Amino acid sequence: MATTRTATRSQGRWIPSTCGMCLHGCGIKVYVENGVALKIEGDPTNPDNLGKLCPKGNAGLARLYDSTRVLHPMKRTNPKKGLHEDPRWVRISWDEAYEIVARELGKVRRDDPRKLLCALGDFQRILFWGWPAVFGSPNFFTSLGNYCGGSYHPVNGCVDGSFAAINDYEYCNYWIQIGSGDGFSSHLHLSGSAKRMADARMRGMKVVSLDPRCSVASAKADEWIPIIPGTDRAFVLGMAHVLIHELGRYDRDFLRDHTNAPYLVKEDGDYVRDASGKVQVWDLKANAPHAWDEAPSGSMALEGTFSHQGIKLRTGFQVWKDILLENTPEKMAEVTTVPASTIRKIAKEFVDAAQIGATMEIEGKTYPYRPAALNYYRGSQSHGNGLFDNMTFKLFNMLVGNIDVPGGHLGVPLDHRGFFVSPGEDGMLKPEPHQLHPAPPFKYPPDSSHLMEWFPIGFDAGHLNAETLLNPERFGLDYRPEAMLIYHSNPWWNMPETDKIEEIFQQMKFVVAIEIQETESTQWADVFLPDQTFLESTLLNCLEPPAVTGHSLRQPVVKPLGDTRDPYDILTELSERLGFRDDWNDLLNVVCGFTAKPQYLLEPEKRHSVDEFWDRYARSIYGEEKGLEWFKEHGHAVRYRTPEETYLAYGSLRIPFYFEFIKRTGDEMRQKFAEVGLQDWPLDNYKPLPFWKNSQVIEDGKAGYEFYAITFKESLHTFADTMVMPWLTEVSEKDPIHGGILINSVTAGKLGFKTGDPIRLTSPGGSIEGPVQVVEGIHPQVFGVSNAITRDVVTNKQVKLRGTHFNRLLTGSMKYTDSATGGLESTARVRVERVKR
Amino acid sequence: MPIANVAALGATRKMLGFSRSTVKFEGGTVADLLRQLPTLDGSCLYERLVCNGKLRSDFAIVVDGLSLKADQLDRQLHGDEQVVTMAIIRHLAGG
Repeated sequence: MATTRTATRSQGRWIPSTCGMCLHGCGIKVYVENGVALKIEGDPTNPDNLGKLCPKGNAGLARLYDSTRVLHPMKRTNPKKGLHEDPRWVRISWDEAYEIVARELGKVRRDDPRKLLCALGDFQRILFWGWPAVFGSPNFFTSLGNYCGGSYHPVNGCVDGSFAAINDYEYCNYWIQIGSGDGFSSHLHLSGSAKRMADARMRGMKVVSLDPRCSVASAKADEWIPIIPGTDRAFVLGMAHVLIHELGRYDRDFLRDHTNAPYLVKEDGDYVRDASGKVQVWDLKANAPHAWDEAPSGSMALEGTFSHQGIKLRTGFQVWKDILLENTPEKMAEVTTVPASTIRKIAKEFVDAAQIGATMEIEGKTYPYRPAALNYYRGSQSHGNGLFDNMTFKLFNMLVGNIDVPGGHLGVPLDHRGFFVSPGEDGMLKPEPHQLHPAPPFKYPPDSSHLMEWFPIGFDAGHLNAETLLNPERFGLDYRPEAMLIYHSNPWWNMPETDKIEEIFQQMKFVVAIEIQETESTQWADVFLPDQTFLESTLLNCLEPPAVTGHSLRQPVVKPLGDTRDPYDILTELSERLGFRDDWNDLLNVVCGFTAKPQYLLEPEKRHSVDEFWDRYARSIYGEEKGLEWFKEHGHAVRYRTPEETYLAYGSLRIPFYFEFIKRTGDEMRQKFAEVGLQDWPLDNYKPLPFWKNSQVIEDGKAGYEFYAITFKESLHTFADTMVMPWLTEVSEKDPIHGGILINSVTAGKLGFKTGDPIRLTSPGGSIEGPVQVVEGIHPQVFGVSNAITRDVVTNKQVKLRGTHFNRLLTGSMKYTDSATGGLESTARVRVERVKR
Repeated sequence: MPIANVAALGATRKMLGFSRSTVKFEGGTVADLLRQLPTLDGSCLYERLVCNGKLRSDFAIVVDGLSLKADQLDRQLHGDEQVVTMAIIRHLAGG
């Protein structure tokens, strides 16, 4: 058998391409023989993933050849809709499918285009997410990204023009990991990051992991610190207290010369300005205020409270220092359950490792060297006060001067364009909270059903649809969506308040889905347009690359199965039939950046093929010689970012320690809401500095919800797709952490639960049921639910339905939403009860 | 008389009635060019895109790859520049 296989393989060939099993797109090579893809491996020539591939990527063939894929356009024949209602699909031609969709969406567009609600989840085709805008709809109906990055991305954009962030794998020696799988199990470019993390550990880097659960990162860390969910900020505030008030160790030079920490503020929080409008600092030699760009650096006060003309003035740094007075390790220990001694120990280890004052030379240039950094992601900041979480983690890093320097905490750009760097006001880097699209101006009544006009520094808070669409009048919405377009997204699964999402689905008169397989959400579809997998379609991808830059090509390695089509073709055909292909081409001209190189502009009157479109995109970025054909041969143009692109890319522009921009935005919003008579809209998180306040989740504890519930993922699964793939579910089913609702053995003993017992968790938002899985590695007050057990509709009979859908526990209202960013609370308070078998 | 290669996208294309055109114009600034681009409604692009001498916040103009700020309409054009006019799309779905 082996001999035959080897002999046959010699007839095949390896084709370079890009993985599509998550958004980040590792470089791959696919072995194809006689038109059949037989093996996927990491591409060793791609410096992004260094030849490595995660379990999802290795299982890619299972998506291509999944017997339950939808391979032809279909229409529903069962008018009754519901989660477990058989749509009774019948096969139709593409022409008939397009005709139905164009007819139904055309009616909506002529009536009021805002009545179309779109759920777009194909991150690798983020360039196409503007399709609803050319249709005329501002609506965004999914919280796929908001769930994780609702507060994370805007804060990164405000601090250094980045989209994400990661510690410096190459030079960091002391890595604090809070609620993140970076380098271990998830988030930014896992395959390459895991290799980089392993290399860093081999050279001696220490990792401390804070997590309610003994995650992969925690299990492999030098130290795991279990913590109450959503209290990570309190832990870090406690450490900041130690650095400033107990040890007196922080990078004064960095804070004074590279941030706005020395800028003077009044008691109302506004900057102090002179008659010409210049922001003032305190000149210690003159003992008087001085313009920020005129005071000698050496005499500029970083901290202090001053009086000038009878007015009390403080530096921005002093304001936070005063806030931190009450965040003693003892008080933060009460919130987090982490002992005060541990908070002090980690703070000291961190500042010791940071080597404040050290420099290093890279390629002839001298940089500050700060080999200690705090890294974080969803678990620690996707909370109702997520803005404060993110600000706290950034400020803590700033205390040792490690932002964007070797060894420290580095911004990660959205894509190949690098950091968004331009001068802002008062010597600052211009804040860029919105990098996917410009913030729409305030409007009442709002146009968008997710109230985008009310979140000028926020992301698209799709989960608010659960509130607004069922009570449109309450929010001033003067219309109600009637149709939905789902494009590789599963809002039923990825949104909180599942019952309300179902109600919204039920309200839709028409639903069209562009998908690879049936999902919970496509149960409501009237027409199913079959998408192609990443092994059959074309695109160029570069998203959130932590160490590299440049595009990788996804190309068809086999002939597409059945009668599926590339989404570019589908959206272009729909645009044509709906009468706005010219606008669609012009939108692509804008989002692809062709406006900067007009020779590549798509002609509005012409229909461009998939290859023609991506060829222009490639040449517009890499020059005439590197078009699509070049990429087909070479696979990618990915290279390491240079030190200049990685470290201090914004030069001498200051970054915000004191988030005056956010405070000012809040003031403007208050005025705008007052002008339209809306007094009760929450705006309390528009603050210039973070502090501790109880979240709604903590408050829910007073109503009898004794425990916390969290969800988590490992490298096997991401988003919804992978949980219906037999290869992957077979692996995850063998791991007890995906076996049921995780509960600490001590808590299980007290409650009389043992593994396998059916239990119900009930939160203020809803309830879920599942079997108990007793483990040691979880905080005693916490229940854990793996994302591997959350799907409810699976067409592949080899995959077991679990249906323990964590999101049913979450609430999408403003009480559980960050009022400044729109970030969603991803933790719930729960009570537990045994369920009769 | 300078020449500008004008590409009009989206809403500005509909205002002007063309998508690409090589335009000869008098004067030398972007504002001069906009004043000499007639719109289908009998006005000119300057009237539609400019308010109190500044580019409206819902439009953008790109000259040779660089986006103009609202108060940069006095930017000199020396001839043969690529000028792209467009409406800003603020509601791109994101996440």
